[in-house]
Amino acid sequence: MSAIPSQIVAVKLPARPFSWRRVATEAKLLLIGIPVLIWTMIPIYHLVLFAISPKESALSGKMWPDHPTLHNFSVVFHQQHHYLFHFWQQMWNSLLIAVAAGALTLLIATGAAFSISRLKVRGGRAIMNLALFTYFIPAAFLAVPMYKTMGNYGLLNNQWALILAMVTIASPYAIWVLKQASDKLPYELDEAAIMDGATPLQLFRLVYVPLMMPSLVAVGTYALLLTWNEYLYAFLLLSRDDSITLGVALGNFLSADDSPWELLMTTGLLYALPPAAIYYCFKRYMVSGLTEGAVKS
Amino acid sequence: MASVSIQQTQKYFGQTHIIKGVSIDIADGEFCVLVGPSGCGKSTLLRMIAGLEEISGGQISIGGKVVNNMPPKERDIAMVFQNYALYPHMTVRDNMAFSLMLAKREKSVIDERVGKAAGILGLNQLLDRYPRQLSGGQRQRVAMGRAIVRDPQVFLFDEPLSNLDAKLRVQMRTEIKELHQRLKTTSIYVTHDQIEAMTMADKIVVMRDGLVEQIGTPLELYDNPANQFVAGFIGSPSMNFLPGTVMRSGGNVGVQLSDGVVLQMPSGTAGADGQKVIFGTRPEHVELVGGSEGVAAEVVVVEPTGADTQVYSKISGTEVTTIFRERHDFKPGSTIRLRPDPTRAHLFDAANGNRLAA
Repeated sequence: MSAIPSQIVAVKLPARPFSWRRVATEAKLLLIGIPVLIWTMIPIYHLVLFAISPKESALSGKMWPDHPTLHNFSVVFHQQHHYLFHFWQQMWNSLLIAVAAGALTLLIATGAAFSISRLKVRGGRAIMNLALFTYFIPAAFLAVPMYKTMGNYGLLNNQWALILAMVTIASPYAIWVLKQASDKLPYELDEAAIMDGATPLQLFRLVYVPLMMPSLVAVGTYALLLTWNEYLYAFLLLSRDDSITLGVALGNFLSADDSPWELLMTTGLLYALPPAAIYYCFKRYMVSGLTEGAVKS
Repeated sequence: MASVSIQQTQKYFGQTHIIKGVSIDIADGEFCVLVGPSGCGKSTLLRMIAGLEEISGGQISIGGKVVNNMPPKERDIAMVFQNYALYPHMTVRDNMAFSLMLAKREKSVIDERVGKAAGILGLNQLLDRYPRQLSGGQRQRVAMGRAIVRDPQVFLFDEPLSNLDAKLRVQMRTEIKELHQRLKTTSIYVTHDQIEAMTMADKIVVMRDGLVEQIGTPLELYDNPANQFVAGFIGSPSMNFLPGTVMRSGGNVGVQLSDGVVLQMPSGTAGADGQKVIFGTRPEHVELVGGSEGVAAEVVVVEPTGADTQVYSKISGTEVTTIFRERHDFKPGSTIRLRPDPTRAHLFDAANGNRLAA
């Protein structure tokens, strides 16, 4: 608290531009911020370093390669290594599965949140509690039962198996988040729409979904990225080289005695790009204050 | 336009009895105000008429049709909410057109109706704005516009002005009344503000604890309150109540206050000799007298408002509010003499609060 008044004084009196206290506050923030930044950036720096180094100097330990090259990218793009024969297919698999799991999770969670929070269906609380209960058991413990279940349905080695498994894992959290967000929408809006003659489906489509957009984008992105980054379930449920995700394919690099590190890291770098792109695309939708002006608070 | 008939209506929330058998008849084109303290059930009753709450017992009909089991959209009514409830992601135009769009009306019809309603409410310049870009008064006007475009049989208003500041509230009050005079649509208006009720209503329904205390025109309620509750609720500042006893000797009737002062009453006054009563007098029906007339009152606070002077004083320990057109500068603690106009006084049975019939 004590730092705030001094800042106000500094703003009000431009004649006193220098304040040790302000410098100290800034310095403290920088002191924490810079190491955290470096700590975060070092692995990425190494990833890039590997990706632009020729094979022979990849492990030289230099801070910058003597002859930086984009050759590794060319190898990956043209699938010129036996670990990379299905690179584009696997990238596509990852994307397809992640988008499908994200969309399906969103569909289920939005429907559940709308029914529980807005239509106030019977047993809504029980469903919420059950959803929370699923997280009492770590997802890794459920991998084998899930494998068995998918086997029973004849879905092993089918990409639907992974999509459904990821929807199962992501949905409970998604339902919770969306339920909480739904509860914050003023109920009068529903009543106004009902008075205007809206059916529950029209209420959902024309009032609820538009107003929930920021939360929907956040939850959809969460489910998408969760699936994109999933390894264990993808490894267990899919095994054909042309049906696995890129994440699993990256893991396969490590099965060789002399792994092509520079190619692994190049592929890894490429694998990290779509999530970053997705995040930046959807970031602008994750705005708050969308319901401003709806009701007097 | 239609009449609304509420017969022996009941509402339970679980075990709690909210509406305990209410019957109200509202004529076609009438502006009816439901008024009462918070928790009296007025909003619940309105929501039952709207169809947002189920009816536990009794019957509600609109335009002669029983609507007990009819969903809101079939009742042909429109509602204005306390906190506007505008769709924040839609423009003013879309907010107003929403119901017509749901009803799949033709675009030309929608445009015409929205344009007409916007004209009535002075919203023409704001049609492409979003609710967040509007002031409180403008938002409330859009909420009314949304009701008007539907041309419903009945308008329902749920405390529509209570979120506005005092000045705007007075202005909107007039606007709503003007609107009603123009459209002549049957309106049911809920408020806890008795001034809103007095100024706007053709008919006021005073409610308390889920029951109707009195139904009547504003002036009927003001001049002949059925009981002490209505007398105290209607009118501002509210009526003064002094406990007393009826004294009859020969043809003379008086009310003796607790400290022995006797107020003379007109000869037709009801009440048996010795009956405990509450003597009610409105602040503007008390005059300042000199000499030994009236009763002594000790001045507590003097509030000049410019137009008149409100004097708070104590008669026999009971606080009394008086309004004088003249300007007075009494010192707190000084003694003045007040005489309530006996012809305009009200007597209530001290036991049950009911008005003593003349």
